[in-house]
Amino acid sequence: MANEVQTGGTPDLSNARVGRSSVLRTCPLPFDRERHRRRLGFDRFARIFVIAGGLLVIFCILAILFVIAAKAWPLFQDATVTPVPATAVNLSEPVLAVGSDEHRQIAYVVNAKGVACYALSGPGGPGSSLGTAQPIADSGKLLPLNGARVVAALPISGKTLPLVLSDGRLALPELKFIVTFPEGADGPRRVEPRLSCEPPLAIHGAGPGNPIRAAALHIEDGDLVACLAIGGGKVVVLHRQEEHESTGLGLGGLGAEEGEEDTQTTVALKTDEPLTALALSESSRYLFAGTEAGRVLAYDLEKNVPAGDHVIAHGPITRLAALIGGRTLVAGDARGGVHTLQMARRERNEHDIAEPPSRLEVMHAFDAHDGPVAAIAASLRNKTFATSDAQGNVFLHYGTTARTLLRTRAEVGTLSALALTPKSDGLLAAGTDARLAAWDMNNDHPEATLGSLFGKVWYESYAEPKFIWQSTSATQDFEPKFSLTPLIVGTLKGTFYALIFAVPLGLLGALYASQFMHPRLRQWVKPTVEIMAALPSVVLGFLAGLWLAPVVEGIAPGVFSMILVLPMTIFLSLLAWERVPSKWRHRLVPHGYEVFLLCPVVLAGVALAIFGGGYLNSWFFGGDYRTWMNKHEMTYDQRNSLVVGIAMGVAVIPIIFTIAEDSLSNVPKHLTAGALALGSTPWQAAIRVVLPTASPGIFSAIMIGFGRAVGETMIVLMATGNTALMDWNIFTGFRALSANIATELPEAAVNSTHYRILFLSALLLFGLTFVVNTAAEVVRLRLRKRYALL
Amino acid sequence: MSRKPNILRRGTPFIWLTGGALAMSLLLVAGMLLLILWKGLGFFWQKDLTLLRLNNGSAVLGEIVEREAIPDLDSPGAPPKMRVKVKQGNRDLYGADFVWVREDEIAERERPEDALAVERLGWGDFFGYLKEIRDGDKVLAGGGAEGLAKLQELLSADYELRARIAKVEKNQIGAINDAIHGAELELKKLAYYGTTMGPEVDAQKALLAEHQKTYDELVLDLTALRRKQTVSVTLTAEGGAMSGGQQKEKTLPISELVEVLQPNRMGLGAKAAHYASQLWSFVSTDPRESNTEGGVFPAIFGTVLMVLIMSIFVTPFGVLAAFYLREYAKQGRWVSVVRIAVNNLAGVPSIVFGVFGVGFFIHFVGAGIDNAFFPYMGNTPVFHSGGILWASLTLALMTVPVVIVATEEGLAAIPKSMREGSLALGATKFETTWSIVLPAVMPSILTGLILAMARAAGEVAPLMITGVVKIAPALPVSASFPFGLERQFMHLGFHIFDLGFQSPNVDAARPMVYATTLLLIVLVLVLNIGAIWIRNRLRQKYSAATAAI
Repeated sequence: MANEVQTGGTPDLSNARVGRSSVLRTCPLPFDRERHRRRLGFDRFARIFVIAGGLLVIFCILAILFVIAAKAWPLFQDATVTPVPATAVNLSEPVLAVGSDEHRQIAYVVNAKGVACYALSGPGGPGSSLGTAQPIADSGKLLPLNGARVVAALPISGKTLPLVLSDGRLALPELKFIVTFPEGADGPRRVEPRLSCEPPLAIHGAGPGNPIRAAALHIEDGDLVACLAIGGGKVVVLHRQEEHESTGLGLGGLGAEEGEEDTQTTVALKTDEPLTALALSESSRYLFAGTEAGRVLAYDLEKNVPAGDHVIAHGPITRLAALIGGRTLVAGDARGGVHTLQMARRERNEHDIAEPPSRLEVMHAFDAHDGPVAAIAASLRNKTFATSDAQGNVFLHYGTTARTLLRTRAEVGTLSALALTPKSDGLLAAGTDARLAAWDMNNDHPEATLGSLFGKVWYESYAEPKFIWQSTSATQDFEPKFSLTPLIVGTLKGTFYALIFAVPLGLLGALYASQFMHPRLRQWVKPTVEIMAALPSVVLGFLAGLWLAPVVEGIAPGVFSMILVLPMTIFLSLLAWERVPSKWRHRLVPHGYEVFLLCPVVLAGVALAIFGGGYLNSWFFGGDYRTWMNKHEMTYDQRNSLVVGIAMGVAVIPIIFTIAEDSLSNVPKHLTAGALALGSTPWQAAIRVVLPTASPGIFSAIMIGFGRAVGETMIVLMATGNTALMDWNIFTGFRALSANIATELPEAAVNSTHYRILFLSALLLFGLTFVVNTAAEVVRLRLRKRYALL
Repeated sequence: MSRKPNILRRGTPFIWLTGGALAMSLLLVAGMLLLILWKGLGFFWQKDLTLLRLNNGSAVLGEIVEREAIPDLDSPGAPPKMRVKVKQGNRDLYGADFVWVREDEIAERERPEDALAVERLGWGDFFGYLKEIRDGDKVLAGGGAEGLAKLQELLSADYELRARIAKVEKNQIGAINDAIHGAELELKKLAYYGTTMGPEVDAQKALLAEHQKTYDELVLDLTALRRKQTVSVTLTAEGGAMSGGQQKEKTLPISELVEVLQPNRMGLGAKAAHYASQLWSFVSTDPRESNTEGGVFPAIFGTVLMVLIMSIFVTPFGVLAAFYLREYAKQGRWVSVVRIAVNNLAGVPSIVFGVFGVGFFIHFVGAGIDNAFFPYMGNTPVFHSGGILWASLTLALMTVPVVIVATEEGLAAIPKSMREGSLALGATKFETTWSIVLPAVMPSILTGLILAMARAAGEVAPLMITGVVKIAPALPVSASFPFGLERQFMHLGFHIFDLGFQSPNVDAARPMVYATTLLLIVLVLVLNIGAIWIRNRLRQKYSAATAAI
């Protein structure tokens, strides 16, 4: 590039160089060859410096797009898993459950004999990835099983690892992972498992002859609820309440703590079908049970009534699990089907009517397995869950987006246990082969797909799929809702109302200034309008939000009547003006100075409209238009689109005015002169000749105004309520992309999905304005060429 | 012309309509500026105090700030009843700064001559009467004119004391704090690189101990000075009209008082002088009471410093790029594409630049700097968080197209003959550019720079995410590396947003917002008008130059 510039560059320069050397040769003064060389060298250096520097600056400017895009890109990368070589664990019995600690340094395995722990060591040291398992001695001896065998294990919940025993008892051992830093805070982390157990609990109605068929357990705020199916459609509900956890004080710290009490009640689900799986909802409110006939039953444990049922498969339900938060239920069946269900929610405005019966509804169906679903593992981080069949096919799904993220295969014989690591960065599976299959998992942004960002999504606790933006909440198990559609709609809504206000004023004003205004006056008006463009948007936003919004609220009918009243006032005053004798007229206000006369007229019109609006308010709306609106089920927010439209309009008018005025007044004068010579009036010349010729310029003025309004941040931030709505009502606010970025980016965790989505919305804004501006610029350049030809 | 064409053919109504549109736009802006001017300048004017005696026997003393019709839904046609908004102050006694009083409840309005308006450090203004002045248990003076004279005398003595305290607190203790902080950092750094003992560590520890000793001494000095402020003032207030009304007393230590005025005794001259001093303290003092009182000096400082840092970056790079595009690059498709792209970048929303600043400067460059130079800081970020440097760089990037475009325009306007003349005399291209083209294009560069500064001064959105804060603990300058560049800062534009929309007491903050807005507008307008003026002079100069050639 640089080379090309040097050789093919400005021709006058190469000529000059030749000329100079001939001049120098005949120079009578002593010629300092050294100095000459230095000068030329310096020249060459400067050339390289300027070219390199210029290119660097331009590159930097253009790099903006790439940096922002690079930050947003990982959103669309699919989840990946990397298998870690499977290691044999020396167990003689099939594995019932697996799991690991938070730091992926310890894996635990449950089989019929009890619990065993293994130290995991990845290639980069413990914790770097899931790795080969080394048995930890003595870790399996703590369980006093009394000859019984473990028949089922539930996922670890906090520290509690619930085990169902063959003699109808329930063991609740605690598995803790003690983290120490033996070499100081910066040294490597050491994690040790500690297993402690109190005697297993006998369950009423269960025994060696009547085993527990299915179980579920939920712990929330120290309240433990366990449900155990014991045949005949009966479920024993075990409730243990810990009043205050008095750990560390040493008083009775071992075993059952004071204030801890177990109650067992039996509820009968009215069904003849044998129960095959159980799960509990948030706050242990609902008990879900799967049956042999493919039905999922819901039972309200608070009110002790059935809460609906749903047949989802032709075969038995094999596994049930609740996703984090407990509002979504995952059901796997013997035909391999995987569905999510929830308790149907009623819309808020139906609250007054008698409560309709609760209902269980299917939300999403996921990719089905070929055989019965053998295990479901839910993430503790987000709505990710994994399912597998006995053949070892493992699928990873994401609940919110109803997507199956990936499929992989575990070679562990008949697969019987599956788990996601606590940080959802790994996957563990085990089966009859006494081998542990492990994967490192990379699933950072499962929430973001094109569908979930721009389409409707059926979020949990909602009655139907919706567009919702709700990025943060106080609770941990919150389902983030990242639909950009309401934000895009908000941005376009604000832009639309701003342009409705600004385009007529800006264009008509430009037409007047370029065609009818006296040049001497124009000299003053143009820079004034340019200065208007420089008004900080924070000032406009502040005035709109704190001054204009309450004012407009007081006189809203008047504001709307201005659309009619102002032109009418102008016409009427013109009629009155025409009555004035023409001698006087021209002496008072010469041609091109009408604007001076019009200023008071416009002021009078505004006053008239506000005054008339007051009457409109009392006659038509019965004194208060807001009461009237409420009666007709319309809402009026004080900070609404009307206010934003006016404020942002003020920001956009100067831009539209300046560009439109430029293109209108640059229309070659001979065109107008020709039209006038042929007998047209100045108005006809303006409207039939100047306007059509300059129309591309006017288009580009509107486009650039659009670009400015789309990206405006402070005005929309300050003058709207910033609620993400999906309507076009002029009396409600909105939440725009730009304001959303400004308020949420400081709080978003770096490189989280939320953070990257904000980058994506910045990219959208960038793309939109860049495309629109480029189109406008190209049109403008073409127009300039056309003028040159005319 | 014997026959007038009809009015529609002449299009006069439409011409008037277009003129009306222009008039409307101009009026909008003029009205807005007037509103800000009125409200912003009115803020500093000391209003008279009015005592409203109400029918229910209670009374309110305060400034009447607003009068409006009471919205009446039942009888829309009837003549509206009015109410007044009174700034009663005394927030600590009566809860709210402002009360609405219905005019039909007012029995009497008085203008008590000896009513005081007291500006104090906490709780907003106090309106009331002087009761007595005490020094410990000793009564120095009672109320009335005599007491007031005594109070003013004591107050001016206390100002001197306060100045001394401020000197110790800010300059001396501030410097010692910096030194202690520096020594601690040095120790941390040594420890990080493995030196936990040895002469270097001992030296730092000795230094630290010495600083600590000086610090303790200074604190003793300070306590001694503070102990001299023993005078207290007892004031009575009237207010609480809405809750039955009661007279209340308040005793304030003299160090709490900023200024004591008798607005109803002040003449026009005294008020004008007070106005000027208020204006000055607004631009020169620190904010108080979560920004709703006091001045905006740190915000002005932050804005100006940020704009200056931005200018340091934007000028050379913008000029370099413009010279490349206009003087060195081959004019062709590539250059015109780049030119369009650069032009359009000026239209890209500012928040996008802010996002870039966050992603690139803070979390990439800043994180890199912290890793390379400040690893011993552990989890305390130095450059890996928002700060004035990153905010300035972000704005520099945002405004570089402005400088490029202006410089390019200037370069295009320089007659080719000037360059050719220089080359013909034997100068190299660089010499021509340096000593002929650059001086000639200087006014254009200046225009671009001023426009860039104006745009940067008014911009808030990108700053909100790259380093502006509501209240910065310190000004973003310091004597030692990294010179405070990493610090967060205050900014006039953000100050407006924060005061108007995030303030705990929006009503009390509102006049302050108008004043700040006025300041910002004046700053931006002066910069813009300056740019336009330079541009116009430049145009004249070159049109003359071209004509001469």
